[in-house]
Amino acid sequence: MSTTAGRGALVSGGSTTAVGAAGLVLGLSSIFGGGVHLRIGWLLPLVGVRFDVDPLGGLLIALTGAVAVVVGVYAVGYARHEHWSVLTLVLLPTFVAAMILVPAAGTVTTFLLCWELMAAASLALVLADHRRAAVRSAGIVYAVMTQLGFVAILVALVVLSAAGGADDFATLATRGGAVASGTRTAVFLLTVIGFGSKAGLLPLHAWLPRAHPEAPSPVSALMSASMVTMGIYGIIRIDLQILGPGPTWWGLTLMAVGAMSAVFGVLQASVATDLKRLLAYSTTENMGLVTVALGAAALLSASGAPTIAAIAITAALVHLVGHAAFKALGFLAAGSVLASSGLRDLDRLGGLVRSMPVTTAMFGISALGASGLPLGAGFVGEWLLLQSLIHAPTQGDPMVALAMPLAVGAVALTTGVGIATMVKAFGVGFLARPRSTQAADAHEMSRGMAVGMGLAAASAAVLAVAPGVLGPVVQRVLAVLPAVGGDTAGPHLGAMLRLPGIPGSMSPGVIAVALVLAVIVAVGLGRWGRSRRPAPADVPLWACGADELSPRMQYTATSYAEPLQRVFDDVLRPDTDIEVSHFAESRYLIAKVTYRNRVEDPIERGLYAPVVRAVGAVAERVRRAHNGSVHLYLAYGALGLLVVLLVVR
Amino acid sequence: MTWIGAIRRAGRIVEPAPSAPSDRMAPPAGVTGSLQLRHVDCGSCNGCEIEIAGAFSAVYDAERFGARLVASPRHADGILATGVVTRNMHDPLLNTLAAVPQPRVVIAVGDCAVDGGVFRDGYGVVGSVADVVPVDVEVPGCPPTPAQIVAALRSVTGR
Ligand code: SF4
Repeated sequence: MSTTAGRGALVSGGSTTAVGAAGLVLGLSSIFGGGVHLRIGWLLPLVGVRFDVDPLGGLLIALTGAVAVVVGVYAVGYARHEHWSVLTLVLLPTFVAAMILVPAAGTVTTFLLCWELMAAASLALVLADHRRAAVRSAGIVYAVMTQLGFVAILVALVVLSAAGGADDFATLATRGGAVASGTRTAVFLLTVIGFGSKAGLLPLHAWLPRAHPEAPSPVSALMSASMVTMGIYGIIRIDLQILGPGPTWWGLTLMAVGAMSAVFGVLQASVATDLKRLLAYSTTENMGLVTVALGAAALLSASGAPTIAAIAITAALVHLVGHAAFKALGFLAAGSVLASSGLRDLDRLGGLVRSMPVTTAMFGISALGASGLPLGAGFVGEWLLLQSLIHAPTQGDPMVALAMPLAVGAVALTTGVGIATMVKAFGVGFLARPRSTQAADAHEMSRGMAVGMGLAAASAAVLAVAPGVLGPVVQRVLAVLPAVGGDTAGPHLGAMLRLPGIPGSMSPGVIAVALVLAVIVAVGLGRWGRSRRPAPADVPLWACGADELSPRMQYTATSYAEPLQRVFDDVLRPDTDIEVSHFAESRYLIAKVTYRNRVEDPIERGLYAPVVRAVGAVAERVRRAHNGSVHLYLAYGALGLLVVLLVVR
Repeated sequence: MTWIGAIRRAGRIVEPAPSAPSDRMAPPAGVTGSLQLRHVDCGSCNGCEIEIAGAFSAVYDAERFGARLVASPRHADGILATGVVTRNMHDPLLNTLAAVPQPRVVIAVGDCAVDGGVFRDGYGVVGSVADVVPVDVEVPGCPPTPAQIVAALRSVTGR
């Protein structure tokens, strides 16, 4: 059994890596070597399947490919350990292939086909562990939301191609401006809803914090690092490239949705105690930031500031890539913790730095990236975004003058709370002492998983220290986005980041070198000082007079987040219960205090629950007509035939 | 500005410093005028605590002679122990003293700490502070007055 499982894992992980590598090559060659075109007439009746890869699609393909390479290597060890079923093993590379095909699609029909393939494959992968009830319920939520999103996209794209009179994106892009404004508005709104739900934007984010934690970790990594970016790709492709430049309110809408997603996502992440749920909300946060950048680009190019718009769109692309690197790494590290200890609950983890040093270092790199601090993979994107927002010229437009400072505030709040969140995830989950026996018994997993994480960490580190590697790529992508300032020079991403028209420049490489030097000096001075002092004495730890500290005295994720939870009480709506039971003899003697604290998603409770209830009520009505009697059904059939005959008479 | 007026009306309320006590010991950390103390209540009736609070109040102001109460034994030059050593506080007293860096001083405040006082033969009592740890300075009285406590502290601070 174990050798079969091992062989299956090897084949599945190996083919995932191979598909990913092929995607990486395809993406890079189409960015640098001109477009790739492919037409398969027989695959789809009437219209055929057509792939046209331009630099924008190439970037997304290369990104997905890179993530898949890493995940494939990791999955070899993971799938063997978790005894994945054959279906799951087969679906992993299929899912990757579908994701690579989505940005390659050159026509509306091909795009919809690949999109649905991607959705179906990911749904089946989420349900890999379908014996647990939580997985099944997450699967239902994901299935419903992804299909509703698909309906929105389907209608939007069909309307668009009917209005534009063409099926392929290239022709549509030339005719996008001629589409009637009412149609354009409808398509814009529908695509923002459809693609926004895939990208995990508010208020259609609810599937994300459910499906990501319950899916196997390599799948979560793929979903969070590349599948959600397909939503962003859709918004860029349809709304910015084909339909753009749109009116001012398009940019404002995107910015508002993005800012709300970012702030809400990070607040939910800050109070989450489930490690993977925390990462999932962080995905909503980061996609929100990217959407703010897209909105800013649309708004600025509409208000006549294409150079700054180019900086904003660069920020979006750079952050997309950076997010993919650190989020894939984060989910993979969380996956090895889960595989080794069976725990996702931060309140029961801890002490992994001693038992799982490699995984701890990996998660540390990921957390640094997610907190948006210098030397993290998320820093450059957020820096570019803030620069474009701060330096946006208002041109006398009050909406721009109002939107930009608000967006700066939202991004700043997001980053600040994001740092607290990642300090919590890393400090509580990995440092300190183990809070449960499972955490104490954790151990490093297989070599393949470590290699996979190492690859992701290396790319995150390169992106953090030398974002200049993205310079040529971003330049080519900007060239195909003339609607949002792509025809301007664009920011210079080299060893030194220089922004046209803005007196701001920054070099992550120099920051890194300075930090390394400072660490060396500090360590050297410490050594030197220690050699001159008397030998240190060994004394017991001070535990306020008690004999020893127990792991239960440590900060937990819940207690760490409690002040934040109190400050943002109105948004988070926590559910707190304190039950005090007294001894029978006296009310002054307390036998037990029970404290329960739950933070549910207020949007889910406020917005989804009524809809679900209404659908349930309607279904209940409809169900009365289905009483199982064959005679009744025959009568329905006859009635239906009668109606049809009457109508077509 | 009523509070400025209040300050002016109150004037100086601190007691004039009496002459320094004669029986001095060398300051534990080798620095005169700086004595950081961690207070340990080993089982006191809290009478002594009230007097210690008085000694550090604005009227007796022990801090002008260089004595301070600190929150952690790691920051302290010694401990200020009050009350008889009860069974429950026996180990914490030892732990606290172990956490104070050497050289250090132990000041026993009140009759209970000095020789057991009124609680000497109680069922939960281990003994006086001197029965458990070596004591350097004793302040008798039940409770001792703030002036007595200040005098004892000055014998250590050297001011
Ligand atoms: S000496 Fe007197 S005042 Fe101080 S603790 Fe003992 S009984 Fe209380």
